[in-house]
Amino acid sequence: MTVEQDFEALDQFPVGMRVLAVDDDQTCLRILQTLLHRCQYHVTTTDKAQTALELLRENKNKFDLVISDVDMPDMDGFKLLELVGLEMDLPVIMLSAHSDPKYVMKGVKHGACDYLLKPVRIEELKNIWQHVVRKSKFKKMKSTVTNGDHSLGNSDHKANRKRKDDDQSEEEEQERGNEKKPRVIWTRELHNKFLAAVDHVGVKNAVPKKILDLMNVDNLTRENVASHLQKFRSALKKINNEANNQQANMAAAMDSHYFMQMSSLKGFGSFHHRPIPLGSSQFHGGAATMRHYPSNRTFPGMFPPHVSSSRIHNDGGYIMLQGLPLPPLDNLHINNNNNNNALPSFTSQQRSLMVAPNNHFVPEGHQQSSSSSPHLEINKRLEDWSNNIPQSNVHSKPDALKWNIDTSTTEPTSFCRDTDFGSSYATTQADFLDPFQMKQHQENNLDPMTVAQLLRSSSGNEGLLFMGQHKLENDFMDSDAASLDDIVNSMMTQQEQSQAEFSEGDLGFGWQNNSLRTCI
Amino acid sequence: MDSHVAQLQMQYRNYILSLYQQGFLDDQFTELKSLQDDGSPDFVAEVLSLFFDDCVKLVGNMARALDQTGTVDFSQVGANVHQLKGSSSSVGAKRVKGLCINFKELCEAKNYEGCVRCLQQVDIEYKTLKAKLQDMFNVSVIIVHMNPVSVWDDFNKIILGKE
Repeated sequence: MTVEQDFEALDQFPVGMRVLAVDDDQTCLRILQTLLHRCQYHVTTTDKAQTALELLRENKNKFDLVISDVDMPDMDGFKLLELVGLEMDLPVIMLSAHSDPKYVMKGVKHGACDYLLKPVRIEELKNIWQHVVRKSKFKKMKSTVTNGDHSLGNSDHKANRKRKDDDQSEEEEQERGNEKKPRVIWTRELHNKFLAAVDHVGVKNAVPKKILDLMNVDNLTRENVASHLQKFRSALKKINNEANNQQANMAAAMDSHYFMQMSSLKGFGSFHHRPIPLGSSQFHGGAATMRHYPSNRTFPGMFPPHVSSSRIHNDGGYIMLQGLPLPPLDNLHINNNNNNNALPSFTSQQRSLMVAPNNHFVPEGHQQSSSSSPHLEINKRLEDWSNNIPQSNVHSKPDALKWNIDTSTTEPTSFCRDTDFGSSYATTQADFLDPFQMKQHQENNLDPMTVAQLLRSSSGNEGLLFMGQHKLENDFMDSDAASLDDIVNSMMTQQEQSQAEFSEGDLGFGWQNNSLRTCI
Repeated sequence: MDSHVAQLQMQYRNYILSLYQQGFLDDQFTELKSLQDDGSPDFVAEVLSLFFDDCVKLVGNMARALDQTGTVDFSQVGANVHQLKGSSSSVGAKRVKGLCINFKELCEAKNYEGCVRCLQQVDIEYKTLKAKLQDMFNVSVIIVHMNPVSVWDDFNKIILGKE
């Protein structure tokens, strides 16, 4: 059986599986990275969804699986999930500290293969490769629509369900696979063929017979195609109506060029995002799984009934999706867009931002503090500490009380062997904290007008944030050179120093100012 | 010398145990420790460092959000709390995580006073934990320096019940 052969070939597979991990929380990202390494996967990490998308787009075959956090500042995790699913058709696993079932449901509806809760355990990660297998298997199997394949799909699903955690629900694909009736399931592949055929015959000629001929799929009848086409058209009509309403606003505010860029690639994603109130879930799945054509740019005639409402024709020669992409233009969508003509300028901006300040900061970071009589200090602290073990709350530091009262945020003294890690990071923090804050504010009240603003600020943010991260890596690596004694000594001394820096904060709002001051 | 080291090691062990008993750390911290090996010898220290940096940043964000002269954006405070909850649960900072859960409820209830108070508690809590772990780490460094046998071996024996 071909299925068995497939599985055999995959014996080596989990090892070296290429995973892309996305999480804005660097602590979690670092842990995730290590856990994945432990599972013998090949890991790439990024803390920005936008970077993740770029990485994925740059080479579609570079990754097997994507793991993404749900709450990220630059892009909603669910959005990323959709985009990846549509553009690259890779399995995506969601990760979140939200255990609320409605988030899980949302994840599933947006096409997540799995939904993990933080803190992530290694046992859960050891099994994620199954999603890659499943997806590739289904791609092969579902290109022909037969009963036999479906029943095979059923058994896989059942086995899989046993392994899943309690708070996960089935994907749409699974639901479709569970159908035991001999009906046609409109998978992504099948739907793509449908679209290609419709496109080929042209809008006016989109009749089921012709589409069927062009699709060239076994076991598909004219009736299947006809009903699919009907549903398709009604869905489009609905969306188009809404598109018409919102488009007027959009077009006015947006730069038309950029707008076209955006809509050409993001149309599908946004279409998917809209809740399409159709009767059959089957079609919903089909429509939702509409994906890009191999050639990203041309969508001619995709929505035949609405050629009259075609809005924007790019001078570049490709026709934009009529109506479809425009309304659900969540501004986040616009924000985090594709890598087309409009955006390279940002990228280069980012790069220059990244390079210059980074170089500037590096020398500052490495101030080695000298220490005097380190051993005496260490011994003293040890004595105090060992005396205090029973009540471990009492700290050996002389100004322990002060520590408790004063809630001002100090410079993050480094915790690991890299003594300068903390101080240098604090300096970089100051730079991006405010824009970061600003960005969050802006995201809360988006409208077309502020989109352009957001774009500008987000590019700036990304540059700085990335710089921060870049800086982290630099510092950490440089620390290994110092000797153990020196490090311990300087750690001790640095702590003493920071203690001295404490100002007497009050319990009111004063301490907040302190925190800002020491950060800056 | 040996007895000195042994004594130190015992004290060190007791200290770690007490941290668990008092609820500063939980099983996730154990998991974290188990991920450290020769390939990544500074893993725990690195992750903790990142965590405490995150704390500083998030607490700062929340402070600013609560300091608005106009209406306070509780959803933003909530978002930061959520992130802190995620990272604290990932490193095993049990008390911090517990506080975050309360904090989240206060944000949802839009209880301003409660939020401010809770934020201060969070601030104290993470700093306390940081100080304790820093001490623990410092001592472990010294022990390792004095006695080449890995100090984590002892830790593993006790906490994980391994040999």
